[in-house]
Amino acid sequence: MDADARFGPPPARLRGLTDKAGILRHGDRERVEAAMQRIARRLPQLFAAIYTGTLGEAAHLRQFGFWLLNRAKFEDQPAGEANAAGILITLDPESKTAGMVFGYLLDPFLEESDTFDCLSRAHAYWLEGRYADGFVKALSHLETVLCKRSRQAHRHPRHFQQKVESHVRTDERDHRILRRHPEAAEITEGPR
Amino acid sequence: MNTWLAGGLAAIGLVASAISSEEPALPAWHEGEHAAERVDGGLLTTDPPPGPQERLDLAPPTAKEIAASENPAPQVPEKFWAAYFAERPRTFLVDPQGVLSANDARDRLGFLNYHAGDSAIDLFVYVLKGDQEIPCELRAEELPERLFATGRPAAIITYYQGAPRRAALHLSPALTDSVSGAELRRALESSIMQAVAKDHSSAQLEAFLVQMSIRVYWMERLSGLGSAAAAPITSTDDKPAKPPDKKALLLAKLQPLMNKARLLALPAAALTGALVVACAIWAGLRRRARYRFPVLAVEPRLGGDHAAGAGAVISFASATTSLASQRQQRPDDARRA
Repeated sequence: MDADARFGPPPARLRGLTDKAGILRHGDRERVEAAMQRIARRLPQLFAAIYTGTLGEAAHLRQFGFWLLNRAKFEDQPAGEANAAGILITLDPESKTAGMVFGYLLDPFLEESDTFDCLSRAHAYWLEGRYADGFVKALSHLETVLCKRSRQAHRHPRHFQQKVESHVRTDERDHRILRRHPEAAEITEGPR
Repeated sequence: MNTWLAGGLAAIGLVASAISSEEPALPAWHEGEHAAERVDGGLLTTDPPPGPQERLDLAPPTAKEIAASENPAPQVPEKFWAAYFAERPRTFLVDPQGVLSANDARDRLGFLNYHAGDSAIDLFVYVLKGDQEIPCELRAEELPERLFATGRPAAIITYYQGAPRRAALHLSPALTDSVSGAELRRALESSIMQAVAKDHSSAQLEAFLVQMSIRVYWMERLSGLGSAAAAPITSTDDKPAKPPDKKALLLAKLQPLMNKARLLALPAAALTGALVVACAIWAGLRRRARYRFPVLAVEPRLGGDHAAGAGAVISFASATTSLASQRQQRPDDARRA
């Protein structure tokens, strides 16, 4: 299924904090934006974005986040940096799910478990409907994790380089399997 | 025969009368009496009754022998007389001979200084060697009147290092009327008791002074000099004095430690301050630090130009669904419930 057909045409331009679901009050927005700006200030290569909205009956939050980070243009992203330097938190208050995706720049440095930990910090607040508090907590932990990963990246650059190379080898192997067994492509979800 | 017997008896009688003229004769046992006492069991010894005592012809001791039999105690050397007794001491510990070690002298002086800051009665301690004597010509008994007639009231202790039982206590003239001799004696005795309970001479002096400081506190109350003078003084007679309260006792015992702590307070404060400043600078630098990631060539995946959809999804629909069960991410776990 084509993601553009599922989620509609890509938005022309999105603010870093897009509250389509209307769950953040004015004071809450300022607090969340301050937490996002702190990440942008301490990690000048990166930007954080938040999108809240109802995705509809057939919504798949993981696919939506993947699609939005690839297709959207964000107002607050650093000049010269593509969305590959972005971290996007999506939240659907109706289905009560939230996800976090990140671009290729962070691919060697962040693990899925890191993003899970960030969302876990917000879980208790989101259960109570305190969305802004949850976002602030998640972003604060994300900032800590990114600073730590940056230090590690400079201390052990070889380790992360090897990780990238192993990803490449895995991808080549997947491509070879797909060429031999085209039916396996149906298993893989997500827009092409 | 009878003539001879009568003559012998007369001679014996003459000799006996000659002896009795010099000393009274000792009682003599007769045969019958001695036997009767033995039969009655009243005599506990079977020795024969003592005979007349023999006199010992000993020559009286000469003056030289009398002088040699005594071993006079050493006196305070003359060169220290002025340092000890010329004027009212400028410090509370008077030890020109250096009887105490430098550390002990410092600690004891620190304690006496503290006492002076806390009490209206100063405590002066003259330290002498354990076997020394103050020469008679110095007339030590007049020392309080001579040196302490003016100035703050003072208790003057003459302490013999290693021999606390020889210690002496005198009061300055300002206190002699208000503090009874009994109280003075009790103070000295209790201080000596504290001192002799210790083994080491240094600890003895310390214990002595601590106890004396406490007793001086009570003297201060008795004399109406202290802040507690308004409190009723119930006894100055020979009844046992009230025991000092626990707080004062504890403070006095902790005093040496407090003095040491005071010496270390400034370096410790400086060190702590330096550490706090260093931590603040470190935290500030850390806060202002900028973090960058090396840009590595990542092969695009899943057709995404900027991201491959890596990341986690959680559900917060129910508080009963634990986060731990969501850690293993599945492709469909975020689908609308």
